[in-house]
Amino acid sequence: MRSGAERGDRLHRRVWDLLPWYANGTLEDGERRAVESHLAACSRCREELSACRGLGELLLEVPEVAPAPHPAHLARIMEKIGDHERAAWRSPLESLRNLLTATPRPVRWALAAQLALVLGLSLGFGRLLLHRQVAPVTYRTLSDGPAAPVPVSGLRVVFAPGATEQEIRDLLLGIRGQIVSGPSSLGVYTVEVPMGPDPLDKVLAHVRKHRQVSLAEPVVGGER
Amino acid sequence: MTDSETNLLRRVGAKDRKAFEALYHQYYRRLFSYLLKVMRRADLVEEVLNDVMLAIWKGAAGFDGRSRPSTWIFGIAYHKALKALSRRSPLGQMTQMSQMAHEPMYPERELAEPVDHDEPESLLVRRELASVLGQAVRALPVEQRTVVELTYFYGLPYQEIAEIMGCPVNTVKTRMFHARRRLKELLPGLGVSGHAG
Repeated sequence: MRSGAERGDRLHRRVWDLLPWYANGTLEDGERRAVESHLAACSRCREELSACRGLGELLLEVPEVAPAPHPAHLARIMEKIGDHERAAWRSPLESLRNLLTATPRPVRWALAAQLALVLGLSLGFGRLLLHRQVAPVTYRTLSDGPAAPVPVSGLRVVFAPGATEQEIRDLLLGIRGQIVSGPSSLGVYTVEVPMGPDPLDKVLAHVRKHRQVSLAEPVVGGER
Repeated sequence: MTDSETNLLRRVGAKDRKAFEALYHQYYRRLFSYLLKVMRRADLVEEVLNDVMLAIWKGAAGFDGRSRPSTWIFGIAYHKALKALSRRSPLGQMTQMSQMAHEPMYPERELAEPVDHDEPESLLVRRELASVLGQAVRALPVEQRTVVELTYFYGLPYQEIAEIMGCPVNTVKTRMFHARRRLKELLPGLGVSGHAG
């Protein structure tokens, strides 16, 4: 069991530690009351409180040095912020470039092709939406007007870097396909195939199986 | 006031440059004075102030509003000041102590109002005492000095001081305990003279 004197010492030390904040008036109620009741009985703490108050009052009399900001100073900081922002934009681009240069060439090709595809598809989809907004929608029956042109589907194809002209020609003849555009700067060809008895899926599967094709995807929304 | 500062910080977090400029103007003098009190190195204050402002720009998006904006900003400033002091002088406190003998602690002679020779003698004595106290506080280690200034000059509760300094509240009390003992050694008459006015 702790003696009363020990408990008193602990309380004294606790109050002693709190005196500066009692002096600056920021103690919470419970602590403030504990300090006040101890102060009533402890002359050492009362003396110390007086010293704390004296210190506080004197410190407030030490003149404060706080010049007004110079406009050039803010300009310099804004410049630093500009540098920081530019660096923040540059770093993702740089890491992408580093990633690409560290990537094996065939994988890089595939990545490039995928990027082209994503861009192509999103552009195509965008145009489709735009087209929908602008073009009047017309419905035809089979007996209407002139015969509709033979419907075609589009494929985007990336050939393997080592593909020969002969191999490409054979593949295209096999699906009655025709290159309508390409190669793009990323090596993507757009190939049109007539909608025949074979569904597009089957044509696509055939093209993808070809050993000289890196990538083949359907063109969405009739985009060429 | 705090509400508008919180809003300003939120806008800075969203990379609003106008809000940042407004915050800069609100805080420049406060930060300058605070950094000078903490560092006692007028030559380093502006550089650290730049670092603090840049850190505010970068970090404002992470300000969660749980503390007061000033607590958050003073916390950044304290840590930037410590970093600058340790970078500039590996012997930190030693260097500051030795400077004490050669330089005025505060440039108060130029900045204070001119002395009125008709003013009562007690006022002159107090000015002298304040000047000596300034020197004594400067001689404290930076952690103790910061606790003393944040308590007495800024009137902050110990919990907020702990938040600014990134330490437990008991560490704040211990630092203050040592600072008080040291100041009494340097200024034995502090209690009596200080309380007389």
